[in-house]
Amino acid sequence: MSDLTAASFAPLSDQQPSQVIARPSLSYWQDAWSRLQANRRALVSLYIVIGLLLFTVFGPVVWPVDPAMQDIDQISQPPGTDRTATLVADYEPWFGTSGLPGTGLRLAEKATSQAVRLQWDAVDGASGHRVYRNLFPIGPELSYGIPMAEFLNNDTLYFEDRLDLQPGRFYYVVVALDERGLITDRYQSISVDVERVTTRTEALERGLITESNAVQIGDKITLAWHPLGTDYLGRDLLARLMAGARVSLFIGIGAPFLFVLFGVVYGSAAGFMGGRIDQLMMRFADFVVALPFLLFMILFKIAFGIGPGESGVFPMLVALVVLLWPATARLVRGQILQIREQGYISASELLGASTPYLIMRHMIPNTLGVVLVTVTFAIPSAIFTEAFLSFIGMGVAPPTPSWGSMSNEGIKTMLTTPHELFFPALFISLTVLAFNLLGDGLRDALDARMRNVE
Amino acid sequence: MSESRFNPVPSDDKFVRLAGGQLAKFALNAMAGLALVIYLLSVLAGEAGSTTSGNAIDFENNAITIALREEPPQLDANRATDASSNVVLAHVMEGLLGYDIDAQLVPGVAERYEIREDGATFWLREDALWSDGVPVTARDFVFSWKRVLDPETASQYAFILYPIKNAEAINRGEMPVATLGVRAASDRILEVDFERPTPYFDKLVAYLTYFPVREDFYNSTNGRYGADADMLLYNGAYVMTDWVHGSTMRWVKNDKYWNRENKGFLDEIRTAYITQDINAKLNLFKDGQIVDTHLLSPMLPTAMEQRWQIDRSMDGSVFYLEFNHRDDRITRNKNFRRALQLAQDPNELVYKVLKEPSYLPGVSLFPAWLSGVSESFQKEYPPVQHQINVEKAREHLELARQELGIEEFPPLMMLAGDTPIGLLSAEYYQQLFRKHLGLEFRIDVQIFKQRLEKMRQGDFDVVLSGWGPDYNDVLTYGDLFSSWNLQNRGRYSSQDMDALIRIAQSELDPQKRMDAFGEIQHLLYEDVVILPMYERGFSFVVDPRLKDFRRRSVGPEVDYNYAYIEQSSD
Repeated sequence: MSDLTAASFAPLSDQQPSQVIARPSLSYWQDAWSRLQANRRALVSLYIVIGLLLFTVFGPVVWPVDPAMQDIDQISQPPGTDRTATLVADYEPWFGTSGLPGTGLRLAEKATSQAVRLQWDAVDGASGHRVYRNLFPIGPELSYGIPMAEFLNNDTLYFEDRLDLQPGRFYYVVVALDERGLITDRYQSISVDVERVTTRTEALERGLITESNAVQIGDKITLAWHPLGTDYLGRDLLARLMAGARVSLFIGIGAPFLFVLFGVVYGSAAGFMGGRIDQLMMRFADFVVALPFLLFMILFKIAFGIGPGESGVFPMLVALVVLLWPATARLVRGQILQIREQGYISASELLGASTPYLIMRHMIPNTLGVVLVTVTFAIPSAIFTEAFLSFIGMGVAPPTPSWGSMSNEGIKTMLTTPHELFFPALFISLTVLAFNLLGDGLRDALDARMRNVE
Repeated sequence: MSESRFNPVPSDDKFVRLAGGQLAKFALNAMAGLALVIYLLSVLAGEAGSTTSGNAIDFENNAITIALREEPPQLDANRATDASSNVVLAHVMEGLLGYDIDAQLVPGVAERYEIREDGATFWLREDALWSDGVPVTARDFVFSWKRVLDPETASQYAFILYPIKNAEAINRGEMPVATLGVRAASDRILEVDFERPTPYFDKLVAYLTYFPVREDFYNSTNGRYGADADMLLYNGAYVMTDWVHGSTMRWVKNDKYWNRENKGFLDEIRTAYITQDINAKLNLFKDGQIVDTHLLSPMLPTAMEQRWQIDRSMDGSVFYLEFNHRDDRITRNKNFRRALQLAQDPNELVYKVLKEPSYLPGVSLFPAWLSGVSESFQKEYPPVQHQINVEKAREHLELARQELGIEEFPPLMMLAGDTPIGLLSAEYYQQLFRKHLGLEFRIDVQIFKQRLEKMRQGDFDVVLSGWGPDYNDVLTYGDLFSSWNLQNRGRYSSQDMDALIRIAQSELDPQKRMDAFGEIQHLLYEDVVILPMYERGFSFVVDPRLKDFRRRSVGPEVDYNYAYIEQSSD
């Protein structure tokens, strides 16, 4: 107490440890990111979106198959079909084999997917024959199957079937015709097992073998691999999905980005200026909302000189941008009107903040959450619009694929070959779902009022 | 403050989890319940389906229900062009001659006729009556035919009457209508003068444009002739009593029809549905709502599974790629056309791509069902055996490039219809020519009317086109590529072809006439005027209780004139 010296009054050093109750300061973005990470659904969606982008950009590098190439040997094949085929000689026309042993309906040679050659003896009392093919054995109700050919006299007692022969079992029936050419209940039938074959020329053309290859007629070779199967023209579905993603995602991401950008500028201008100008600008936005989208789509297509047979992706983008911005503009205007009246804006103004500063510092950051959410919700709707337009034939022109046009083609054969519809539909659904969930997560993460909750 | 906000979170979380679990359970139960209900309903529906058979066949009233492809624009036979009008008119009207159940030409309103080199005479039967009881007279035909050719009527099928003297000039407005070479010698004798010998005139008069129209009735309709059920007079096996536009029609047996013993066995035919949608028609047939429908290849497995008796018919039309031969087109170059010809094979198109069992791969403009002198035309005059040869195709393409003096070929326009088959073929050819010849084709998909309009204007390089027969003679195809035929959309013009068609039109000796057609067929291949794609056919199913229903290649596509219901024996 008594011996205070000057030294006693030396200031404490800066590094005096003391108890601090604090947590690391996070910027707005770090905070949002950490909240997004906590949302598992949003995170998975984010990975899906990234995966889709990689699929679109790098997919064609990994799987360099021409999406327009038609593998006529493998039309409408579901994934995982057996691909071994026997090499046979090129097709030669056939007009029956004379002196073929055996009686009744019989095969002239081994049944292959190239041709099934049938020969028969005239059915008693027949004045002609009709050949049927069936997937099922003939029952008592005499439903013979698909009529393949009709011969109105007994001169022709052979038939060559080349129609869409797939490996498997077929039942052939030859039915006697009466003198008026009508079918009777007298028939001969045979069951035939078809083997998959391909010719040397075709194999060479599709690059399955090379000239130098020592592959002989009768050897087994493997046909081209299509991981997701093929469509109705034998085109590789995976390659088409990749090419289609390019169109779908270009529209899906490009259009929302552009129209949201325009909407933000327009909406914030209207909201900030207020009064008569605001009224005028918003009535114009109402006017744009009332314009029919499909009509404008067609008008743009003509205005841009997109001739028949050319893809109308660009006019589609323009039509989307020109017609869909008002929703964003309204949303942003509402936000700006609200923020403009906040106390901290008045305070800033009193402290002498300039208009650009107010906009940049206070207004835009506060609307950012809304805007980003609008973008993520606009993306799926734009993908849907593209799919819809291509579905009704307003979008891409063949052979360019898009997911929408692929679905349109797939739906025609939905019952027989469902994979042609399933895959594009799956990709559309997955993309739309991913963007929706991501948008949901972003809304939670970017909401400034949810800050510091955890 | 901050603590109080922190604490409730875990309990909140628990609550959320609990609620989520409950929700999931509820959803699961709801789904299971729904599945059960759907299953039960389908079982019930199946039961119902097997006990009642729908409305397709009404035993009590001896009536059937059918579906029409489209609503006919109007039923004025003089102006009708579409298939639906043809179907309706073939049941409610009759011409001088008609077709029997086996598609053979038989007398209609005319009981006998005579065709000479310079004209024809038809003797009309006494008992042919209009639906109001007035006899059908020769004057009704004179009035009708003059009306078709009157330029004011603007009938698109006027050309089919051109064999009649002065018809073409009248139709062009160069001569008065009164100069037409047809007159009623009496009520029951019709005299026709020909412009040039027309040995196939009997087949022409069975066509609907030649059907009669009664003048006094026509005048009483004030220009609404054929617009409604009561705006038309009938002389066929059926009369139309109701026509609710866009929805239904009712055809009732015509008790004034002279041949009612051999035609028109049903008391009533109801066209309850107008739809192009083939899947909808299949479902209607499955549910027993209509008596017949045609099938596309994806539906055939279903049909086989249902164990239906599938039938087939050729519809008579031939489809082909038609080139634009106008001067400003690349396709005018013969080597270019030859290259395309050699690069394609219609067999692959039909067997592998279209997969329609009732289609025949195209070999010629003249389809397989046409008859020649004594046998089928294709048998007497076999078409050129076509072989695909890509190497030769490339050589011809190179020649074409040099002849045209261009560096590389610009993208070409391929015009196609908006039907599934049309689109499929177009996409196939697009890739085929790209792969084999490195040519770029753009597919211009248009609805039927617009495609015809573009063809008329010549706004295409290649068009996927087709031609259906109007009458049962080779000439219905044979004169298509004459330089004066307006249906020659590619404006192909060759003196050899024109000379051959002149022979085919007027030669009376059947053998020489068919020889001319044989040469036309050869020239079409050699000059590569068209590339045949396929002959169209239909696989169809019909209710097994309805007998003698026919699908036709000439005349109406579906024909119920001879159909009757088999009374169940058990």
